[in-house]
Amino acid sequence: MGDGSSTRSNSSNSSTSEKPEWLQQYNLVGKIGEGTYGLVFLARTKTPPKRPIAIKKFKQSKDGDGVSPTAIREIMLLREISHENVVKLVNVHINFADMSLYLAFDYAEYDLYEIIRHHRDKVGHPLNQYTVKSLLWQLLNGLNYLHSNWIIHRDLKPSNILVMGDGEEHGIVKIADFGLARIYQAPLKPLSDNGVVVTIWYRAPELLLGSKHYTSAVDMWAVGCIFAELLTLKPLFQGAEAKSSQNPFQVDQLDKIFKILGHPTVDKWPTLANLPHWQSDLQHIQAHKYDSAGLHNVVHLNMKSPAYDLLSKMLEYDPLKRITAPQALEHEYFRMDPLPGRNAFVASQPMEKNVNYPTRPVDTNTDFEGTTSINPPQAVAAGNVAGGHGMGNRSMPRPMVGHNMQRMQPQGVMAYNFPAQAGMNPSVPMQQRGMAQPHQQQQQQLRRKDPGMGMSGYAPPNKNRRL
Amino acid sequence: MASNFWTSTHYKELKDPEEINVVHPLDAQRGISVEDFRLIKLHMSNYISKLAQHIKIRQRVVATAVTYMRRVYTRKSLTEYEPRLVAPTCLYLACKAEESVVHAKILVFYIRKLYADEKFRYEIKDILEMEMKILEALEFYLVVFHPYRSLPEYLQDSGLNDTSMTHLTWGLVNDTYRMDLILTHPPYLITLACIYIASVYKEKDIKTWFEELSVDMNIVKNIAMEILDFYENHRMFTEERVHAAFNKLATSP
Repeated sequence: MGDGSSTRSNSSNSSTSEKPEWLQQYNLVGKIGEGTYGLVFLARTKTPPKRPIAIKKFKQSKDGDGVSPTAIREIMLLREISHENVVKLVNVHINFADMSLYLAFDYAEYDLYEIIRHHRDKVGHPLNQYTVKSLLWQLLNGLNYLHSNWIIHRDLKPSNILVMGDGEEHGIVKIADFGLARIYQAPLKPLSDNGVVVTIWYRAPELLLGSKHYTSAVDMWAVGCIFAELLTLKPLFQGAEAKSSQNPFQVDQLDKIFKILGHPTVDKWPTLANLPHWQSDLQHIQAHKYDSAGLHNVVHLNMKSPAYDLLSKMLEYDPLKRITAPQALEHEYFRMDPLPGRNAFVASQPMEKNVNYPTRPVDTNTDFEGTTSINPPQAVAAGNVAGGHGMGNRSMPRPMVGHNMQRMQPQGVMAYNFPAQAGMNPSVPMQQRGMAQPHQQQQQQLRRKDPGMGMSGYAPPNKNRRL
Repeated sequence: MASNFWTSTHYKELKDPEEINVVHPLDAQRGISVEDFRLIKLHMSNYISKLAQHIKIRQRVVATAVTYMRRVYTRKSLTEYEPRLVAPTCLYLACKAEESVVHAKILVFYIRKLYADEKFRYEIKDILEMEMKILEALEFYLVVFHPYRSLPEYLQDSGLNDTSMTHLTWGLVNDTYRMDLILTHPPYLITLACIYIASVYKEKDIKTWFEELSVDMNIVKNIAMEILDFYENHRMFTEERVHAAFNKLATSP
């Protein structure tokens, strides 16, 4: 890739009312998510090995201002990054008929929100130590890559941490949803300028206290919250969100944090005194007095254990003292048994019984335009903070899991890379509309040949092409 | 990415100068020469700057917009991608990418103010449609590194960070966007070429500083020569010639 000459798309052909040509390279399975910006679909490539693809549709923004800046930012970042623990953008498509954008990603069957929920509601016991440690290590590994490239994710939460299903990448963590992510080198405006950041349960105290200049440490706080949630299956700081004004002071969220960690002090966190809400809402903030810092009790960890040590360093109040991703990866916790592994579900040396997680529910009655046909979805199980492949709230029909949807097949990886495929394939025959019927189970299992395909073909760092 | 130019799409997409100065067959049919092509891109770069001044858009956003526009024309024809629509749309897109969003209606207002010709008074819908086409033409590569970033650091390091040097070099960097340099050279080398020109002009000897940089001074000097050539020829870029080039574009082959 990268020869820059292979845009094969033919925009004039795709602006008809017929199904655009690029869409014909996929078989739609159904809708898997819904959010503020649009819908997420599950599809499969028509050409073998019929790889599953998550397609995120961005609607034209309603304010008459074209492609939403969120979509631009997400595409812009995703086009540059390539890491095993970051979701892979395989294609972007434009539908000129309704001026919408479609982002095609490698499909991930699971996410931490669903995994945690499954353990809490169905399994009855927590995740095993190996899985927790592997998930956390991979999450930190992906985050380390992002941070070393000056990208803050800003919206880490269990539903944005995906895990791959059966196949070559089984049990591998993928950080998703870069809609709020920012490049934090030399921003033209203060980073806090474009509104709401991070679901409040995972929001760092410096943000809650109104900090204008925040750093990658906000992501590490969120990782700490997620770590605790993996251990206990409950959100660590479950504050009630204040929704009054544009960016309200989240006093309840802070209160939940103080209750477990104790109040922060200027002594331990010197820049605390400069934070807007610490100055203006001091009475509010200190309304309740909490003496005992009881984090170890909440997460049931021995205060001397490496796991507790790592967690408490992630939940350090002062962002300057909070552990960084590279430091966390070096922590003793990851050097002791069980060692973290590439497949978070299955250790190379079998220990405990593996848990079979439920696959993502698919609403097979929705087509790519997002219009629902015939049978409306049945029950709706709306997760508070859910949203696979990074779409806001998930409100998906649950009971369909049994018959109407497919287990993902083990998939090979094939050459669906930019820019060779950045467009349409005119030779694919026309496909009927409403391709919502379930496929037959594909029995062939194709072996993945080259795990390094895709956007990873970076030039050696010092190569100077002018020489 | 943002920190590492060498792993960026910007780096991977750098082109040889010979690849840049190729007139698209559709434009060639209308009699557009390499010189006409260059003139039109120069004119549209200036137009983007002018438009941005009216809307009060930052220089870095202007630089990104000009880069988008120049990248578009390495792949697309002037005939099919009307420059007078592409240029403002690149500015519109750059504003989103650089997080300084400007509303399409404001852009349209200023286009009308600047362009007397009815034919090029675009509507919001024209901008939005072209935005999609430009995204596609750019293959969604939107991150651009600019020579501005390393400028203060280099000036400080070489001990040339007085006001007049800062002004001079900053102005030189601005002018590099009237050429295709941003498509052909890593931005830090463009910065160094501008500092080199300024140091010669102001008779400051920073030869040893350059030597310690471990960069290929031949490349820096070549870029500097290109910039000086541009200034040399600048008198010849007259309004009449720009008009003549646009007139060729308007005639059917």
